[in-house]
Order: sequence, then structure tokens, then C-alpha cells
Amino acid sequence: MSTRNTISKLVTLGGLCTAVALVATGCGAGGPAPSSGGSGGSSSINVLVEAGGHAELTGVAEQCKKDAGVDVNFVELPYDGMFNRLSSEFSSGNVSFDVAALDSVWLPSFKDAVQPIDELFTDDVKKDIFPALVKEANVDGHFIGMPAWTNAEIILYRKDLFEDAKNKSDFQAKYGYELAAPKTWKQYQDISAFFTKDGMYGTDVKGAVETEWLAHVLQAGSPMVLDKDNNVVIDNAAHKEALDFYVSLAKDAPSGAAQVDWAAAQNLFNQGKTAMTRFWAHAYRQIPADAPVAGKVGAAAMVGGSAGVAGVPGPWYLSVPKTTKNTDAAKKFIKCAYDYNDKGIESKLGLASRISAFQKYQDQPGYESFKPLIETLNAPATATRPATAKWQQIVDTVLIPLLQKAVAGGDTSALLADAKKQIQDLLK
Amino acid sequence: MSNASLATKPEQPSSNVSTTEPPMRRRRGVNREGLEAGRRSTRTILWILLAAAMVLYGFPFLYLLFTSFKTPIDTIAVPPTILPREWTLENYTNALGRSGVVASFINSIQTAVISTVLSLVLAVPAAYGITRYKTPSGQVFIMAALVTRMVPPVAIGIPLASMMASVGLADTPIALSIAHTTISLPLSIWLMSSFFESVPRDLEEAATVDGCSRLGALWRVVIPVVSGGIAVTAIFAFLASWNEFLFALLMTAIRSQTTPVVIANFQTQFGLDWGSMTALAAVYSIPVILLTLLLQRKIVAGMTLGAVKG
Repeated sequence: MSTRNTISKLVTLGGLCTAVALVATGCGAGGPAPSSGGSGGSSSINVLVEAGGHAELTGVAEQCKKDAGVDVNFVELPYDGMFNRLSSEFSSGNVSFDVAALDSVWLPSFKDAVQPIDELFTDDVKKDIFPALVKEANVDGHFIGMPAWTNAEIILYRKDLFEDAKNKSDFQAKYGYELAAPKTWKQYQDISAFFTKDGMYGTDVKGAVETEWLAHVLQAGSPMVLDKDNNVVIDNAAHKEALDFYVSLAKDAPSGAAQVDWAAAQNLFNQGKTAMTRFWAHAYRQIPADAPVAGKVGAAAMVGGSAGVAGVPGPWYLSVPKTTKNTDAAKKFIKCAYDYNDKGIESKLGLASRISAFQKYQDQPGYESFKPLIETLNAPATATRPATAKWQQIVDTVLIPLLQKAVAGGDTSALLADAKKQIQDLLK
Repeated sequence: MSNASLATKPEQPSSNVSTTEPPMRRRRGVNREGLEAGRRSTRTILWILLAAAMVLYGFPFLYLLFTSFKTPIDTIAVPPTILPREWTLENYTNALGRSGVVASFINSIQTAVISTVLSLVLAVPAAYGITRYKTPSGQVFIMAALVTRMVPPVAIGIPLASMMASVGLADTPIALSIAHTTISLPLSIWLMSSFFESVPRDLEEAATVDGCSRLGALWRVVIPVVSGGIAVTAIFAFLASWNEFLFALLMTAIRSQTTPVVIANFQTQFGLDWGSMTALAAVYSIPVILLTLLLQRKIVAGMTLGAVKG
């Protein structure tokens, strides 16, 4: 009978738990009910944002509540799952959010699912946003996203090593010019070779990500992969020159370049294993306080090739889905995000999208990366990635395998020719 | 060596064995020692294999646990270290202090409990019916239940999310529980079927002779006998929901986001917060470990249920 009693107790307990859970289900534990505005719209909105960008918009949301009376609930999702979630909701026409923070590479994919926000792009607004971003936000003649924050790769280098008297004199003697943050490809190669000694490496080479090579393509004077008419130009001389430069650094970088991605490169630099890295500017402010390189890092603009300095911006845009019932409140929030754009700089990520927001902080201690970032983003050769919905597919199936084979010693001309054919097939 | 010597050799006593001991007893003594030594070495090998398996299974969790106590720079050390160079609780403070974490725990518990109860409520009668009546349609049903396990969750996740939204259940734990039940129900039916198979029909017949109805016999006799199996099934159903990520990603937002999604949020496109991620993962594994320990006896009983089938 004791077993029976146990079972009875378990069943009763289970029943009670279920009852409690079912009652609690009505409201859930995460916060208020999703916004459901009537025809006039609601002053409470849901903002879908990638986990890394949530903090960027927290200050804006607080200010927006004060100024415009708009309550903001954030739906935070991991980057890897966000595209699937967006695709799922946009395709069903039943969206659970009123504003979405979209990665720039997703804009072409979702252009038909989001509303134009042309009225927010006044002349003053356009002047205060980096030119490449203004261009990218405009899809098929309409502005469909307001840049919330942007990033670009700059040079992070070991200031302590660069300022060391012995290193300076040795470098001068060997290369015939002063040791300083590199401005050209040649200088980057020389400095990388110089610091590759005693278990240390001059730089890293990232075979598992494509953006850095594409920045070098821009520096060599070519559009990335596709020209303005969507012709595949990946086999032109600039792409080859950039790829050869990229591969040439492998001898001064830790082994296994084919597998090195952002996280690995950041770890190597923060651990003091590399003297320089080309990395997203936000990383400057994210060096752990207990890292061997903390307080010893300098920042410089991205290196320049024959077309000068160039970088690939990494912006996120705020967009309003066509199917939201809270269009007014959503647009008010986007306006707040522009007006109080500098609030993001005080967050952990520490980025903004307005030139004036970066300039406001550029001379303050701890924000030394902003001047190089502004210089890189304002450079005439800087350009955003091609506006094609197939871009991510091109990256995953063509560009990264191409880079991995190249850094492993593959024939760059043959690899580029092969890549051209693959991309043409993908775009058919 | 000649044939004669081969034939006579077993008859000759060994020079270093006492001649006063009977030959058979001596042989038995030698055999027993040999068997004992063999058993010892087998046991040693088994222990080594067991230890290796434990290390293999336990190491990732131990590494996760140690990482959760590391300082930020220690978590990304090159080469990595197993033990923290400096122990800290900072990661736990950061992880648990992050907005939405406590709510996500409550959501995970709600979802897993509802999903487990739903699975059992549906699987127990289904499995009982299939095993006791053995109708052709029952056999088709149980095979069909297995086939649903072969469909990749992503294939049904997106339509399921749309369906839940269209019936007004978007972003609720009940919607996620129903989705999780689609994962655990087929397994629960199969598990419960095997447990019901192991219960002799005579037990039920005896109960009905004593005046029980069929339902009464099920409730008063069969269910107590398979309680270990129910515990095992409950654990599997609970775990399936507790750790599920994809449906939670597609179907939850503000009100019902579960902890696996929150854990994944520590990996962003701008970096990976190893310390906080491992701290939250370690905390999230505690309820499952406790549940397993609490139901340990039932689980063992359930796992050996089939072994006593007469």
C-alpha cells in the first residue's frame, strides 16, 4: 500500500503543480503581455534585438519613456537564432515585435517586410550619419532602417612594445623608418615580421571570417565581390592583390589560420600573443582589466592600400515591420534612438551610429578607439557589403572556404576563378 | 618430446606441491586461486573502464563548473587551464543579476512541469491500450509515433509557432509546453509500452477477480507496479523540455522565454561571455541533478522492470 500512497502523493503533487503552472501560464514570468495596439496603436512596444545589442538601446528606451511616453519591452535573442525567428514571423505575417534591430546583411532579405521610414531621414540626419550607412539604409529608393550603432575594423596594437626604445631603434635599423602604428600594407607586413619572435607573433590571420579580407579589397580599389550592377568581380586584380597580402601575413601569425575567427583572434591579442590585430573597434573597450595587455593597447585607423584607408562597417538598423499595429509608437522609438544615440556609448558595447555621438566622446580617456573608427568609417573607400539577399550564403559557402584554402597555401588565382563561378551559380 | 612422456606427465606430482594433499583438492585450490585472480583482474579492468567512462562523461561538466569560477581572462587563457588560477563568484553575480534570468527559470520550470504532466497523461493510457489490446491500429499508431521522432524539429517549429500565434497562444508557457510534448510524447509512449509489457496479465486478472474494474485494476495494481517506469518516463520528458532550445527560440519572447535561450544570449556577435554563460549553465543543471537524485531508486527500479518479466 505504501507504493500506492506514494503514487497518490505524486499524482496529487503533479496535479497541484500543473494547476499552479497553468494558472501562472496566463501571465508568464517574463514581463508584460505583448503589445497589441488597436487601430490607434499602443504606447507600449516590443523591440526585437540581438543579445549583444540590448544594452545599446536600454538608455534610449528609458529616455523614450520620459520624452515620448513609449514603454519599451525588449525581446532578446541570440544572434544565431535571430534570422530564423525573423524569417518565421515575417513569413507568417504574425509578428510579435514592433521594432526589430536588423544586422545590415539582413536588410535586403527583409526589405519587403518592413516599412519605409523616409520621414525620419531629414537632411540633418543624413549629414550626421556615416555616408556608407546612409547609402545602405536606402533600399529600392526608400529608407527602411535607421542605424542604431555601427562598428568597423581598426588596428589595435601593443603600445608598450611600439614605444619600447630598443624595439624602436632595432626596427629603424632594420627597415629604415620609424616604428609606429601601420598605415600601409607594407608597414603592416614589416611590423608583423619584426614582432614575430620569442614565442610572440606580429599579427593574426583569420581564415574563418571574411570581413577583413573584404576590407583589404576595398583598400585595393575594388567593390567587394559584386559591382554596382551585380556582376561578379571577385577574380579582378584588386581581389587577388588583397588576397595575396592577406595570405602573406600567415607566416607571422599563429598556426592554424584557417580556423582562426573573431573570438580566437581577440583571445590571442588579449593574452599578449600577438602584437597587432585588425579588429572591430568595440574590442578596445572590452579588454579585461586583468588581461596582460590591459592599459598597453593603442588604436589606429585601418591600414590603407592603393585606394587609401577603408573598412567594412558593421551597422545594425532599427526597422518597423509592415504588420505591426503600433507604427506610430515604433517610429517614435526610432526617433528617440536617433536623438539619444550617444546613450549607447555608455553601454558595455560602447557604440553609436551618429558621427556627432562618437565625436562627443572621442577625446575622453578610454575612448581612444573612436578617432580611428571615425576616420575609417568616413574614408571614401569604405563601403558596406553588397545588397543581395544571397550574401550570407555567398559568405558561408564560397568566401570562407576560399579564404581557408588560401591561407593553407592554395593557388589564389585559381581559387578566385573558382569562387567567381560558384557565386555566379548562386546568383542565377 | 615423445608420446610416452606426454602421456605420463599429468600423473607425476609437481615437485613444489605437498604430496600429502589429495590431487583433486590441489587442482581445485589452484583453480579457485586462478579464478579469483581472474575475477580480480576483470574487476580492475571494469573499474578502469568505468573510471574512464566517468571522466569522459563528467569532464565536460567539471570543466564547465571550474570555468564558472574563473576570472574573465582565465576563461580565455591560451592554452586553457582546467582549474581557476583565482577563484571568483563574479560570474554567478553577473549571470544571476542579469535581467530576465530569474523569470526564465520560472518559465523553464512551468514549461517542463506542464509538458511532463501532459506527456504522462497522454502516454500512460495510450501505452496501456496499445500493449493490452494489441489491435492492428494500435501497432500502426505506435509505429506512427516513432516516425514523428524522425522529423527534424526545425521542420515543424516554424509552422507550430505560426499556429500558436494564430490561436492566441503566442509567447505563453502553455504553447511551448504543447510544442515540447510533441517531442517527448512518442518516446514516453514507447517507454511506457515496454514497462506495461513487463507486467504479467495475471496481476490484472487477479484484481478483476477480486472485484476491480479494468480501470480500477490499472489504477490500483498496474500503475503502482510500473511506478518506476513512470518515474523514468517523467525524467526523460522533463529533461526533453528543460533543455530544449529551438522551439523556445522560435516561440517565446517576453513572457515565456526559457533559460536555454538566455544562456545562448551570452554569445553575441561581439563576443562570448564564457564566465557568465558557464555560471548560469551550472545553476541551470542543479534542478535536474536534484530531481535525478530524488528519483534515483525509482529510476533504477524502472530500468530493471523489464528484467523480471516472467
